[in-house]
Amino acid sequence: MIQWGSFFVVAAVAVVATVVLTVFYAGGVRLLSDGHAAGSTARVGAAYACFALCAAAVLFGLWLVVPQFH
Amino acid sequence: MDLTLTVILVIAFALLFDFTNGFHDTANAMATSVATGALKPRVAVVLAAVLNLIGAFLSTEVAKTISSGIINTDSDGRELITPALIFAGLIGATLWNFVTWYLGLPSSSSHALFGGLIGAALLGSGIGAVNFGSVVTNIVLPALLAPLVAGVAALIGTVIVYRTTRQATVPHAKGAFRIAQTVSASLVALAHGTSDAQKTMGVITLTLVAANLQQPDTGPQFWVILGCGLAIALGTAIGGWRIMRTVGTRITDVESPQGFAAEASSAATILAASHLGFPLSTTQVVSGSVVGVGLGKRLAAVHWGVAGRIGLGWLLTLPAAAAVGALSAWIAVSSTIGLGIVAVGAIAVIGVIYWLSRRAPVTSGNVNEQQPQRGEKAEVGA
Repeated sequence: MIQWGSFFVVAAVAVVATVVLTVFYAGGVRLLSDGHAAGSTARVGAAYACFALCAAAVLFGLWLVVPQFH
Repeated sequence: MDLTLTVILVIAFALLFDFTNGFHDTANAMATSVATGALKPRVAVVLAAVLNLIGAFLSTEVAKTISSGIINTDSDGRELITPALIFAGLIGATLWNFVTWYLGLPSSSSHALFGGLIGAALLGSGIGAVNFGSVVTNIVLPALLAPLVAGVAALIGTVIVYRTTRQATVPHAKGAFRIAQTVSASLVALAHGTSDAQKTMGVITLTLVAANLQQPDTGPQFWVILGCGLAIALGTAIGGWRIMRTVGTRITDVESPQGFAAEASSAATILAASHLGFPLSTTQVVSGSVVGVGLGKRLAAVHWGVAGRIGLGWLLTLPAAAAVGALSAWIAVSSTIGLGIVAVGAIAVIGVIYWLSRRAPVTSGNVNEQQPQRGEKAEVGA
């Protein structure tokens, strides 16, 4: 039998992960340009925080791919 | 029948299959990056090749899916598949990969391999050798679900990306998306190396064990790992430009924000699938993502004719590879001469397909060209 439980988990995780990645990366791009335009250090800082979160997600992906890490 | 000859032929064709697997799947990781100009075509394929080679060495566990599950064992637990049948299965998979490459269709190399082995096993050991329930749960349903999940994720991602960045008009947006796309594409290429080269290693190891040249329950030998890693990397570096053109420009015209959304969705789906116990085909995930980003962008067109042809290719992959596998098995199991006829015949077919492909070659120079009208003059100096 097909494991629908596993499938729905995979589907949900894939969609949520994509949403998180795109929201934070695109949000970072927007905040960076708005922040520079408005001279707002807070927004530029928030932009870098967004990028840092995306970098962490990539590192987590790398950790998943390389079996030696876990 | 000469067992040593069979084993040598299996190894040779397993490496050839791995090579086709490489150029078939370059598109998975790199097609959208090439299409958006995030990476130069040559740089993209070399990057993918290196990551595939690294991936082949990273994963040390043998992909047992080949030997367990789909092909049943007999009452003593022995495999119902012999080296000659594995050879026939590889012929079916390799020839189908060449046909789909010629047609520029992204199709799952794993499904071709399963199809070839299933066809050979059916002919060699009868209908009881194949676990059809397992075929439906492991191959047919995931083939429908993979593009759906990745497509929905990519569609949502595309909407988010364009909304957030005012249709990517904020300064430096396109450049930023190209960088992100390259990173996520690299992750896809690395993940690919850890899984796909494994399958061929599994096939060669299974053969060596079946021929009593290796102890059962031992992992692949170093030369097998090295050979498979190099074969898949070499295939990747050659670049499956025909398939890359389909995925990058023919399904829909991918722009860098879409490329980022597509690769993010592909990477997320592949990693979620392989670590949460519901494996999905990389090829089908990526194709689904590309359709999704086409649907997600306002006024972007998805060429459903192309998508339909790809879907048809997926439906045909298993039965077509199985038919060739069965035919090869029918000729090959009888005698050493039969084995030779199959090997020579397969090489002749590959030669013909290659010759056909040279009449309208797709290279790193014209991979991003839009669909030309038939009879239109070729681009000068490409």
